Amino acid sequence: MSERSQSRFGTVVLLLLKLRAVLVLGILLLAFSILTPSFLTANNLSILAKHVAISAILAVGMTFVVLAGGIDLSVGSVAGLAGMVAGGLLTVGIGGHLAGVVVSVAAALGVSVAVGLLNGLLVSELGVAPFIATLGTLYIARGAALLLSQGKTFPNLAGTAARGSTGFSTLGQSFLLGVPLPVWLMIAIAGVATVVAARTPFGRHVYAVGGNERAARLAGIRVERVKLLTYCFSGVCAGLVGLIIASQLESAHPATGESFELNAIAAVVLGGTSLMGGRGSIGGSLIGAFVIGVLADGLVMIGVSEFWQIVIKGVVIVMAVTVDQMQTKLQSRMTPAAPRGGRDRAQVAV
Amino acid sequence: MSTARAIAGCGLLLLAGCRARDTRPLVAIVVPSQDNPYFKAEADAAAARALELGYRVRVDAHDDDAYRQDNLVDAAIASNAKILILDNAGTDASISAVRRATRAGIAVFLIDREITARGLAKAQIVSDNDQGARLVAEEFVRSMHDAGSAKSEYAELLGRESDTNAQVRTTGFHAVLDKDAGLTMVAAQSANWSQAEAFSKTETMLQAHGSIRGIVAGNDTMALGAAAAVKSAGLKGVKIVGFDGSPDAVAAIESGAMLATALQPAVLISRLAMDEADALVKTGSTGKPEMQVIPCDLVVKANAGMYVNFEKKQ
Repeated sequence: MSERSQSRFGTVVLLLLKLRAVLVLGILLLAFSILTPSFLTANNLSILAKHVAISAILAVGMTFVVLAGGIDLSVGSVAGLAGMVAGGLLTVGIGGHLAGVVVSVAAALGVSVAVGLLNGLLVSELGVAPFIATLGTLYIARGAALLLSQGKTFPNLAGTAARGSTGFSTLGQSFLLGVPLPVWLMIAIAGVATVVAARTPFGRHVYAVGGNERAARLAGIRVERVKLLTYCFSGVCAGLVGLIIASQLESAHPATGESFELNAIAAVVLGGTSLMGGRGSIGGSLIGAFVIGVLADGLVMIGVSEFWQIVIKGVVIVMAVTVDQMQTKLQSRMTPAAPRGGRDRAQVAV
Repeated sequence: MSTARAIAGCGLLLLAGCRARDTRPLVAIVVPSQDNPYFKAEADAAAARALELGYRVRVDAHDDDAYRQDNLVDAAIASNAKILILDNAGTDASISAVRRATRAGIAVFLIDREITARGLAKAQIVSDNDQGARLVAEEFVRSMHDAGSAKSEYAELLGRESDTNAQVRTTGFHAVLDKDAGLTMVAAQSANWSQAEAFSKTETMLQAHGSIRGIVAGNDTMALGAAAAVKSAGLKGVKIVGFDGSPDAVAAIESGAMLATALQPAVLISRLAMDEADALVKTGSTGKPEMQVIPCDLVVKANAGMYVNFEKKQ
């Protein structure tokens, strides 16, 4: 084989590797449509998208954190806490005064931002490793959620018209142009996030901080502020997810969101974002979330047992990361000076 | 980390020392979790009765983790507990912990879940999961036939598949359901006792099998998740049954969102355990056999008003 054809072959392989998440998603959609006649119906796709929205919204927030070289393990707990804050305000209130829907939602999101802020301060100002800082807030937020109700569920969040507390179920249960509202929220958040990541100075700063923190600092980027904002955004996304779930179930349970952080991280990794930071995209995470969601729902529809579902999910994640390593190696061999993809480890170790 | 722990420990010791010495005998109550209304009701009932009878009480949760349960049993031994009321973390995995507590002179009373070894605990008081599941399944069959169609399809939501109670309940359900020629199970999935998971899995199962007319769930939390999914799909007349008798499920039965549930007499069991423990301390005998199985109650719309927080109103 001539050197030229070899490099062309390499380019094709590289392209396939880059598009792997899309390919996997395509294969899954095709396989499940063949196996289950009702899979490819508008109704099912709408429900599927609604399920995907949960991990996709978390994954979008997580992507910024990971791009900037961090990780946020607290998102599942924050989702649980946000639901409990809203549920508590709607059904128990403070000092006997019940809060309205808008106030409750705002308070829940406020608490979520506060946890994000705490994460950000711990990581950027106090220099705590992101893994440890957010592991700590994972427990703090979960404990706080349990304390709010002494471990009980807040039921009947549908509210009563007499008290003016109805409308909370809109968030998770209503439709706009035939598409569930949570799906619109996912599209809106992913859309804004894509533009922010790719087209704004802040987005470039996130990539720069994750790619080479010291270089970013020397270039005059306010590294602390960038990190702080990524954790705050991740917190908001997590809070929103908690509210959507509470709204869908019309009840808030303190254990909601357990291990959601792992789904979000899996989606981010499947989408080709490097856990080392600096490389990846919002669109990739969205596709990653769809891969996980389609796999979960499809396996339920064809009636595969829970145990196999867990194994299969694990296999897909391991394969995705393996392929990611292959892509990195191939890319660095083909284009030694690649600005994003071809970073070698020495650069990360700064 | 360990320094911080040591400092915290010293602080606690000081606090404890400052307090007036409490000479009442200690009852340690260990349950799976306190964020589940069932386990909370069971712990609260045992604690309340123990306080009435003049004991000190400590309540802990092992989160279904046998290792954590071991540590909590060690803590009970170290603090000279007289009585241990335990809802254990696994039929086989808990035997060694129960044995250790018994050898240390603690009277162990198992509630809600049994262990396979006999002669270690002073009593094992459990609700009859099999009988309860059959009761619920019979009501389900009746109602599915009343709904008219000769052939009816249903789905099942199972509890965590590694949990004994999940197995016993599904076996009990099927002992009744499989005998009925008119009923066909078209889908079965584990939702791990979780409401959110039951919600999304039910939505998906309803997509795969639009003909589903009933849902049998291994506990009330999952049944409520299924009810939310059925409501969200705009379906009417889907019969949903659960298990446990949680207050939320009783309310759902009253409103018609659920058909029935089996109420486990958690409060009664906890009180029985504490009364027998007290009898043992005062008279040297519980006066009862080790194995005690308490039947479940069927809760349907007609009698739902009689049940509050895992007990029948007096």
